[in-house]
Amino acid sequence: MTIQISFITIVCGSILGCVVGMLRTVGGRPVSMTLGIYIHALRGTPFLVHLYVVYFVLPSTGVAWLQLEAFPAAVIALSLYTSTYVAEIVRAAIQAVPGGQSEAARSTGMTGLQTMWHVVLPQAVKLMIPPMGGIYVIIIKGTSIVSVIGIAELVRAGEHATQRHPRELMVIYGMTALLYFAYCYPVLRLARWAETKFGSVRLPS
Amino acid sequence: MFDWILDYYNWRVTIQFAPEFARGITATMWISLLSLVLALIIGTGTAIMRMSANPLLWRMAAGYVQAIRSTPLLIQIYVIYFSIPALPLLDRRLDEFEGGIIALGLNAGAYMSEIIRAGIESITKGQVEGAQSVGMTYLQRMRYVVLPQAFANVLPPLLGQTAVLIKDSSLVSFIGVFELFGAGLTVLSERLMPNEAFMTVAVCYLVIYGIMLQVSNYAQRRLGGARA
Repeated sequence: MTIQISFITIVCGSILGCVVGMLRTVGGRPVSMTLGIYIHALRGTPFLVHLYVVYFVLPSTGVAWLQLEAFPAAVIALSLYTSTYVAEIVRAAIQAVPGGQSEAARSTGMTGLQTMWHVVLPQAVKLMIPPMGGIYVIIIKGTSIVSVIGIAELVRAGEHATQRHPRELMVIYGMTALLYFAYCYPVLRLARWAETKFGSVRLPS
Repeated sequence: MFDWILDYYNWRVTIQFAPEFARGITATMWISLLSLVLALIIGTGTAIMRMSANPLLWRMAAGYVQAIRSTPLLIQIYVIYFSIPALPLLDRRLDEFEGGIIALGLNAGAYMSEIIRAGIESITKGQVEGAQSVGMTYLQRMRYVVLPQAFANVLPPLLGQTAVLIKDSSLVSFIGVFELFGAGLTVLSERLMPNEAFMTVAVCYLVIYGIMLQVSNYAQRRLGGARA
């Protein structure tokens, strides 16, 4: 369950984050300000609060499709949370590509979209990869929090186990921690590896 | 005229629970402050250990940082809250407030140690050599030369980590600590009014975050666009 949630969230959050990040760089002032508020609002509040807002507050608006079950609520809250981090990474990476690159592309007659797709993004992606690993670890750890709205993921499973064997409390929580470690550590190593592989990428200036 | 707003957000309830929210904010601030102090101490110690030449020391520090970074905070809180009473050296149960602060401090300490290490590494060798040549001991060099500059260099990321710490402190409500999020939970359980409860909590956290952002900007300006 933990793996399932984290996987869906990584995909949804990354896509949403890329869209937000790109819109923020190419859009005009009003667009980038609106998205800036979106990012700050989500970053300024704990994930726990997002989760409760999505799960408890949205249904009270009375809109039928906002009456979310626990699972979609968790995925939506986590994806929104992830998207803010991804958006900032994407924006930073796009801005790190020197302006001369896109100017040159435009002067050969490419449209804005073509410039983005063929020139800027391929270079920016290399810069995005290392920090993404860190974000994925944050997501995996974030899934532990969704246990509070009753989803049977790793922490929840641990809690059930403690009710059955109250004396083994330590062992059970220790095991849970170990399982998370086994899941996150390879991702962290992968991120480190990606950093050594792509970190030295020199952008043409 | 405002009836339709009252349907969604009844501020009278918020005002009625204002003392709870105020107590919650105070508690959140205290918890954050105390765990920040703990985290800075742990972070500095770990950073220095991590840079030591003794393999035992730096491996221990690295293992601690990796372990914290790859397990969720919620689990760390549970482990510390439930496990420390099992240690023989304490004959009394840790209350949830202390447990929460220790867990948060250990968690933030690991992240901060990485930041502080970057800060210490940013100090040029000449500084240390200069301090050595005027006869300062290791501790004096750290205290008067290296650490002050290191902290100044990494103040902005440290403040960012502090903002994360404040947000993370919401998790200690699960071991029964009453803080800002706990205040929201109280409103939810007493009135079944999630909008009033959690929108208010969200706004409170946003205000705290806004203040942190201003402080961080100010610090950055004061330090002349911090080089770190």
